[in-house]
Amino acid sequence: MEFPYGKAPFWILVMAIITGLAMMLSRTFTNAGRPDLVFVVFAPRHYEAYLKLIPEFERKHNVKVQLQQVHQRPLQTRLQSALLADTDVPDMVEIMNPFMGAFMKGPLDDVGFVDLTDRVKAEKLDEKMVESRFSIWSSRGRIFALPHDVHPVALAYRRDIVEHLGIDVNKIETWDDFVRIAHEKIVKDVDGDGIIDRYALDLSISGTSFFPIILLQRGGRYFDSQGNLTMDTDITIDTILWYIRQSRGKTRISFPAGEGQPFYKALSDGIILFNFVPDWRSKVFEIDAEDLKGKMALMPLPAWEKGGRRTSTWGGTGLAITEKSKNKELAWELAKFLYLNKKDFSDRFAMLNVIPPLKEAWDLPAFQVEDEYYSGQKIGQIYAELAPETPPDYVGAYYEMVDGKTREVLIDGGVYYEKYGDKGLREFVTEKLKQKAAYVRRVMNRNVFLREGEVEITDANSSKENAG
Amino acid sequence: MKDLKYRAYVKRTPYLFLAPYFCLVCIFFIYPLISAFLLSFQQTNGPKSKAFVGLSNYSFVLTDPDFHKAVKNTAIYAVFSIFLQLPISLGLAMLLNTAKDKTKGFFRLIIFSPNLVGQIFVGVIFSVLFVPRYGLFNRFMQSLIYWGLENRWLENPTLVLPAVIITALWMYVGFNMIYFLAGLQSVDKSLVEAARIDGANPWQVFWNVTLPAIKPVATFVVVMSTIGSFQLFELPFSLLKGEFGPSSSGLFIVSYLYQMAFRAGDLGTGAAVGWILTLMIMIISLTQIKMSGTLEEGK
Repeated sequence: MEFPYGKAPFWILVMAIITGLAMMLSRTFTNAGRPDLVFVVFAPRHYEAYLKLIPEFERKHNVKVQLQQVHQRPLQTRLQSALLADTDVPDMVEIMNPFMGAFMKGPLDDVGFVDLTDRVKAEKLDEKMVESRFSIWSSRGRIFALPHDVHPVALAYRRDIVEHLGIDVNKIETWDDFVRIAHEKIVKDVDGDGIIDRYALDLSISGTSFFPIILLQRGGRYFDSQGNLTMDTDITIDTILWYIRQSRGKTRISFPAGEGQPFYKALSDGIILFNFVPDWRSKVFEIDAEDLKGKMALMPLPAWEKGGRRTSTWGGTGLAITEKSKNKELAWELAKFLYLNKKDFSDRFAMLNVIPPLKEAWDLPAFQVEDEYYSGQKIGQIYAELAPETPPDYVGAYYEMVDGKTREVLIDGGVYYEKYGDKGLREFVTEKLKQKAAYVRRVMNRNVFLREGEVEITDANSSKENAG
Repeated sequence: MKDLKYRAYVKRTPYLFLAPYFCLVCIFFIYPLISAFLLSFQQTNGPKSKAFVGLSNYSFVLTDPDFHKAVKNTAIYAVFSIFLQLPISLGLAMLLNTAKDKTKGFFRLIIFSPNLVGQIFVGVIFSVLFVPRYGLFNRFMQSLIYWGLENRWLENPTLVLPAVIITALWMYVGFNMIYFLAGLQSVDKSLVEAARIDGANPWQVFWNVTLPAIKPVATFVVVMSTIGSFQLFELPFSLLKGEFGPSSSGLFIVSYLYQMAFRAGDLGTGAAVGWILTLMIMIISLTQIKMSGTLEEGK
C-alpha cells in the first residue's frame, strides 16, 4: 500500500509522530522524577554552600530537593515573565535586592510570593534577626522573603599608604573630617605631570551603587515602609550636592575606578585609598587583589554628624517561596534550615565573609578570627558591631526607576557644577529632582493595580517617615 | 465520478502541503501579532489582573521624555550608521575590489572578522577598552592626539553615544563591506573600460558607472542598516553593563521597550512601543526605497 501523497510526506509524518511521542514520554518521565522542591539561586558561592547542606535536609525529611543556579538578571526577568504568564516557577528562589520591587507592582494578593509576615512573627525572627533587613523584602508592611544577610558597609583602605601619609583613621569621625584630610594629605599630583596620581575615594560619577549607600547612611531613602515615594526630600538634595562636589570638578577627592581589572589596578597602584566595602566585597577584595594582603584594613564609615550612624548597606539576598509552590510548608522548613543553621554560619563566613542577620550567631568563634588580609583585624567582629546600625531600605515597585531618575539629577547637576560651579547648584538640583519625582508619580499613578488606599502617591513631604 | 474525486484530490493537495507552514505561521506569528496588538490597549499584572486602558499606553509613550530621548538617540545612531559607517564600508570594498585575489581574501576575512564574535562579546570587550586611564582606547587616543586618557566614555552622558557609534563602527563596517564587495564584483567591467576610454576620471567612473550599477545593493544595505539601527539593543546593553547609560544617554527604542516590558513589568506599554517602532521602521524603509527609485524601476 502506498501513501497517497508520496514518500517524502510519508517520512515527514513518521518523524512528526515519533518526535511527538518522544516529547510526550519525556514529559511523563520528567514529571515522575520531579523533586519535591525546586530551589533556584543566583550566587555561585551560595550554590556551593547549599549543595553541601541539602542532603542532610533530604535525609531528615525524606524528600528530594533540586538546586539550580541562574544568573541574577535572567533569574529576575524569567521569574517575572513566568509569574506574569502563569507558567511553571520554582518553589523557592533567592532574589537580589533591589529586584524584589519589580514583583510588587500589583495589589498584595497578586504578589507571586508567599506572605511570610505571620510565619516570621510566629517564630520571632523579626526580633532574632536585624530588623532593618526585612525592609528590602517588604511591601506595604508585609514580608515576602527571608533575609540572607545584613551587608553593613565599612571603608576598606590602603593601610600601608595611609599610615605612610601620617593619617590616623581613628581621628576621622565625620565626612567633613574625611574630606578635609583628603584635601590636606591625599589628593596629589605626586610626579608633577599635571595628572592627579592619588585620590581619597572611589566614586562613580553616575552614582551607580555608591549614591544609595551614602543616601541611606544619611537617613534618606527612595520609599517609606508603605511604599510611598520619598525621593525628593532635602536629605536627597543635600546628598546629591555633597556627592557632586566630591566627584566632579578640580577639587574632587574621588576617582571613578570602575570595576574588575581596572578597579584592582587603581587600588594596587594606590590611585584610590578608600573604598566602600560591605562584608561580601571584603572577600572579593581578598580574591581579586591578593597582592594587597596585609596592606589593607577596615574602618567604619565616617558619620554625617558626630556620634551618628557609622555604616550603611549595599546589596542583599532574600529567599522567597512562590505562591504556586505545592509544598509551601516544606519550602519554609528548608528556608529555616538554610538560613538559621548555626553549623553553616561559620563555614559561610569563612567562604564569603558574609555575616548572617541572626544576631545570636555573631558570637561564634568564626567571627572572632583575625584576618591577615586586613592586617590582622577581626573583620567578623567589625561588621557584626556595625550590623545593628544598618539603615532600612524599603523597596517599592518602581525602585530601579527611582534610583535611575535620582542619579540622572546627580549627573545633570554634575555637568552644571563643572560649567557654573556652586552658584545656583542647589536650585538647579532641587528643580530637577522635583521634575523627576513628578515623572515617577505620573508613572505610579498610571498603575491601575496599586489599589486605592494601599499606596498614597503624594509628594514626599506627606510621608510620616520622611526623614527629610 | 472517479475523475471528479481525483480532481478534488489534486486541488486539495497543495493546500495540505502548505498546511504545516500555515499552522506554524498562525501559531508563532499571527497569533502573537494579534495578541500584542490587543495587549497594547491593556495593563496587565499577571494572570489575575488585566485592565483595558484604551489608548493610554500609546499616549503615555508618545508624551514620555524618556521615549523622546530614545528616539533621538536611535535617530542619531541611524544617521551615523548610514553617513559614516556605509561610506567607510563602500570605501573598503572598493579598495579590496582592486586588490589581488590572494590579499583580497585575507583582508576580507580580517575586516569581516569582528562580526564573527557577536554583539554581546564586542560590548563586553569595548566596555574594558573605554575604561578611564587604563583602557586601551583611552591610552591609544592619549598617545595619538594627547587627549582622552581620563575620558569616562561610559559614564559621561555626552560620550556614551559616541562610544556606541565607535563600537558599532568596528563591528559592522566589515559586514556591510561584504555586500558592497559583492555588488562591485558584479559591475560590468566593459562599461568601466568604455568610460575610461571616453576620458572619464576615477571619480566620474565611480559616480556615473559604478554607483548606478550597485544601486540595488546600496539600497538594500541602507534599508537594512536603518532597520538594524532602529532595532539596536544588545550592543549598547552589554557595553553599558545592562544599564542605559547616565541620564539615559544610551537608551534606544528597543532598550526603552525592554525597560518598560521586562524591568517595569508593564507588558502593555511594551507592546505599544513595539507597534510604534514597527510603524516607524515601515515608514522610514518605504521612504528610503521610494527615494532610491528602486520601486519605480521595479514597476
